[in-house]
Amino acid sequence: MRGVAWGLRSLLRQPLRTALSLAGIAVAAAMLLDMVMLSGGIDKSFTDLLLGRGFQMRLTPKGTLPFDTEATMAGASGIVAALRRDPAVAAAGAVLGTSLYGATADSTVTLFGYGIEPEAQSLYQVTSGSDLVPGDTSGVVLSEPAARLLHAALGDTVTLLGRLDPQVVTAAVGRRLIVRGMVRWLYDYRGQPSVGTVLPVMQRLARRNAEDRASIILVKAREDGQIPMLAESLRARFPQVEVNSVADLAAHFRERLVYFRQLSYILGSMSLIVAVLLIATLLTITVNERLGEIATLRAIGVSRGTVVGQVLAEGTALTVVGATLGILLGLVTAEYLDAILTSFPGLPAAFSFFVPRAGTLGFAALVLLVTGSLAGLYPAWLASRTPIAATLRAEAT
Amino acid sequence: MSPLTAPPPLLARELRKDYPMNGETVHALRGVSLRVDAGDYVAIAGPSGSGKSTLLQLLGGIDIPSGGDVEVLGTRLDTLSDRDLTRLRLTRLGFIFQRFHLLPVLTAGENVELPMAEAGVPRGERRARARDLLAYVGLAHRVDHRATQLSGGEMQRVAIARSLANHPVVLLADEPTGELDVATGHEILQLFRRLNADGTTLVVVTHDDRLAAEAGRVVHMLDGVIRD
Repeated sequence: MRGVAWGLRSLLRQPLRTALSLAGIAVAAAMLLDMVMLSGGIDKSFTDLLLGRGFQMRLTPKGTLPFDTEATMAGASGIVAALRRDPAVAAAGAVLGTSLYGATADSTVTLFGYGIEPEAQSLYQVTSGSDLVPGDTSGVVLSEPAARLLHAALGDTVTLLGRLDPQVVTAAVGRRLIVRGMVRWLYDYRGQPSVGTVLPVMQRLARRNAEDRASIILVKAREDGQIPMLAESLRARFPQVEVNSVADLAAHFRERLVYFRQLSYILGSMSLIVAVLLIATLLTITVNERLGEIATLRAIGVSRGTVVGQVLAEGTALTVVGATLGILLGLVTAEYLDAILTSFPGLPAAFSFFVPRAGTLGFAALVLLVTGSLAGLYPAWLASRTPIAATLRAEAT
Repeated sequence: MSPLTAPPPLLARELRKDYPMNGETVHALRGVSLRVDAGDYVAIAGPSGSGKSTLLQLLGGIDIPSGGDVEVLGTRLDTLSDRDLTRLRLTRLGFIFQRFHLLPVLTAGENVELPMAEAGVPRGERRARARDLLAYVGLAHRVDHRATQLSGGEMQRVAIARSLANHPVVLLADEPTGELDVATGHEILQLFRRLNADGTTLVVVTHDDRLAAEAGRVVHMLDGVIRD
C-alpha cells in the first residue's frame, strides 16, 4: 500500500475538509480549462468557420474585411471570370449581401439577402429541399428564422422587396420567388432571417446590377501551399480590392480580440495559482497534524524519500480528482458561457468562443497535474525534516 | 567471528545528552554506559525526567548524543550517514511506542507490512509474514481491520508485530503499557516474556514495576545517570 492509493486513503481521514478542498480545486481547474479553451478557441473556431467549405481566400472592397461594412466592389463578374481562368484557382464566386424586405399577408418584414453563385458558394448548407442552381432566377433559399417570418414552406412563393421609399414605404423593386430549400447560413448570427438568391436577382433587388456590384468574392486555391503566392499575385492583378487569405483574416480577427486572450491568460494564471495554494495549504495542514505519525515512520526506518513521496502522492491524488471534476465542470460552464457570448448581436451563431479539443484538455490537465504535484513540495520538505526525537517527545507529553 | 567475540547488539559508552531550554542547558543524560547482549531482556526504570526515554532514543539512533557513542552490532552510529542510519533502524532495530503510532488509514496487516515494503521485501512474502506475525501476537482474525477499528491492546500488539517485521536484533520499547489498562498491560507483558523466551533481545523503558520485574536485568536511572 504505497503511492497514490495511500495518498487517497490519507485524504479520506478528513472527508469534509478534503471534499471542500476538492471543490475549490475543481472550480479553479474548471476556470483554467475554460480560459485555455477561450484563448485558443476563438482562433480555431474562426478559422474552421472560414474554411468550412474549403474557400481559403476572400476578396473584399479596398480597406474592408468581409461584411465589415456595406461597401461593395464594382465589376464583380469580370473579376470572377478572370479568377476562374487562373490555373491556381479551383473555384471562385461573388456574393452580394444587402438588407431587403419580405411581404407577408399583412405586413413587411426586414430580411438580410445574400446573392450567391451556386456553382461556388460557401455561405450555407442545405438542411431540406434543394439547392439553387446556376441561372435559377425564380428560386430562393431561406433560413429557418426567415421562413418563420415569411410563413413560408418549401415550394411556396414569397415576395422579396428591394429598397423601400422612406416616405410612402413602398418598394421600388419587388420579386416573387419560389422557395427551393431551407438552409443554415454559416455566418449568420442567432435568429438572423436570411434569404438567398442567385447573384443577378439580388443585385437587381438591391439596385446594384448596373455596376455589377458584390460585397465579397470567395476563392478556392487548388493547393494550400500556393495560397501566399496566389494572394500576392491577386493583390498585384486587382489593386482595387483587398485580398485576404483565411490566415490573414484570422490574424486580423486575433488582433481585434487580443483582449480576450489577455483576459484568459490572466484569469487562467490566477486560477492555477488558486489551485496550487489550495493544495499546498491543505497538505501543509495535513502534515502538521501528522508530525507524530511521520516521526514514527522515520523512527522505524522509513526514508525521507518515502515520506516525501507520500506527501507528493497526496498532492497528486488531490490534483487528479480535482482536475477530473474540474474538467467536467469546465465543459459544462464553457457551454453555458458560449451560449451567452455567441448570443451577442453581430456574431455568427456557428462561432464558438470555447472550443474543447483533446489537445486543450490534455494541456490544461498536464499543467494542473505538474503544478498541483509541485504544490506538495513545501509540505513534503516540511515532513521530511521532521525532528524525530523532539516530535516523539512532544507527542508523549 | 565466534559468539564469544561477536559484538553485542547494543553498546553505549559514556552517553551524554544536553538540551537547551529557556536559555539554559538541561543535562538529560550525564555519562551513561550500557551493554545489551543477545537474548537479554533489559528494563530501564526510573521516575519521569530521569532520562530513560532519552537513553532509548539514543540507543535506537533516532537522536544524536551530545557526547559518547552507541554501537549496534559493532557499528558506531555516529559514523553513519542519515540514509545509512535510517536503513539500520529499519533492518536491525524494532521500535514500540507508548502511543502505538499505527497508520490509521492502513489495516493491521498493511501496518505490519510497511517496514517490509520499505525494506524491499516482495509483496507475497511480506503479506505472508505479516499474517504470521499477527498470528504470533494473537491477532490473526484482525489482519484486514483498520487500525482505528482496534482496541488499545490490539493496536499495541499490531505495533509489536510491526517492530518484528524485518527480523530486528533488538526491540526497543518506550513505555509500551503506558496507555493501557492493567489487564491489557498484562497481556503485553506476557507477550514480551514470550518474545524473549523465543530469543528476541528486548530493551524496555518503563515505570511499570510489574513490567520491570519481568526483565532479566533492571537498570534504574535518576537525574540522567544509572544508579544501579
